[in-house]
Amino acid sequence: MEIRVRQQKGIATLEVEGELDFSNVERLQREIQRHSEEVVVVDLQGLKFTDSSGVGMLLSQVRLFYRQGRTLKFVRIPSLIQEDLEVLGFFRVLEVLETKPNAQ
Amino acid sequence: MIEGNEKILRDYGLEGSGCSRPAGQEGGDFFEFISCNESSVFIVIGDVMGKGFQAARQMETIRHSLRECIRIDSHPLEIVRRLNKLGGYELRKCGSFATLCLLCYDGKNGRLTCVNAGHHLPLLLSNGEVREVQCRGVAIGFWEDYLGSGAEEVFLAAGDAVVLYTDGLVEACSPGEQRYGQERLKKAVRLQNGVNAKCMKDKILADLDTFTRGICQKDDVTLVVMKVTGKAGGTGGD
Repeated sequence: MEIRVRQQKGIATLEVEGELDFSNVERLQREIQRHSEEVVVVDLQGLKFTDSSGVGMLLSQVRLFYRQGRTLKFVRIPSLIQEDLEVLGFFRVLEVLETKPNAQ
Repeated sequence: MIEGNEKILRDYGLEGSGCSRPAGQEGGDFFEFISCNESSVFIVIGDVMGKGFQAARQMETIRHSLRECIRIDSHPLEIVRRLNKLGGYELRKCGSFATLCLLCYDGKNGRLTCVNAGHHLPLLLSNGEVREVQCRGVAIGFWEDYLGSGAEEVFLAAGDAVVLYTDGLVEACSPGEQRYGQERLKKAVRLQNGVNAKCMKDKILADLDTFTRGICQKDDVTLVVMKVTGKAGGTGGD
């Protein structure tokens, strides 16, 4: 997995490429946590695969950001991964967090 | 390969067949058939996040909690809500989660009640047509309260079959990195109209193996087929 970082106007964007799984999930978590910007964007266009440990980490980071009053966004999610996340209810949880950010 | 306790389904006018192929030595997938009372039986399939020893240990904890929840209140929606409170808290503490689809079949009237927590939708094969049972919900451990569409009910007739599977099946890849996918699975299920549950399971897995050409997969693969025989206490199934 490769992670490229762009920083612009107070927003950090992490471009993730390759496969996210239990062997490298901590590396992406550390990279997300390393940034102190109010908004961190994870660009998943180059993501080929994620296993459940990747999904679990991304959701736990979203919750952590909400607790800190910050935003972690996912953009350009490949369609197959989008479908997998929909089955899990990932986006439903993001909706609830957006409407009730303190309900966690 | 792990086989199940499908023989208990015969008492409810069902036949069943299931198996789980862990990607490594131990997996996080599970399935089980659990008697509720003399007319109802539960069919459950699930997948705990991760692989190896930790996933297998968490999977056993979830199965234990599920049985406890069934003992307290046998309504499927209440079971999943309670399981999310009990097991979900433990999973969340470890940054983990589990998907689960719980079915309850009442052999007296053919009613199948489905509750889903982040799992792929059950496939219903009836009169040669395949459709998804529309029950949706978020995975166990994703949120403090269970969020879902509720309990979906369908009525089954003799000859109808229900197919449950984990993501490892539809996400299994060919040597060219194409996914097996939902559409190919639905087609494979449709072609099994009229055969028994074990034969259905074996043929679907054979189609998967043909597609993947036997290459190692990244995730556990679990497949469960249950079919209505309409003969409670009969000798259908494996």
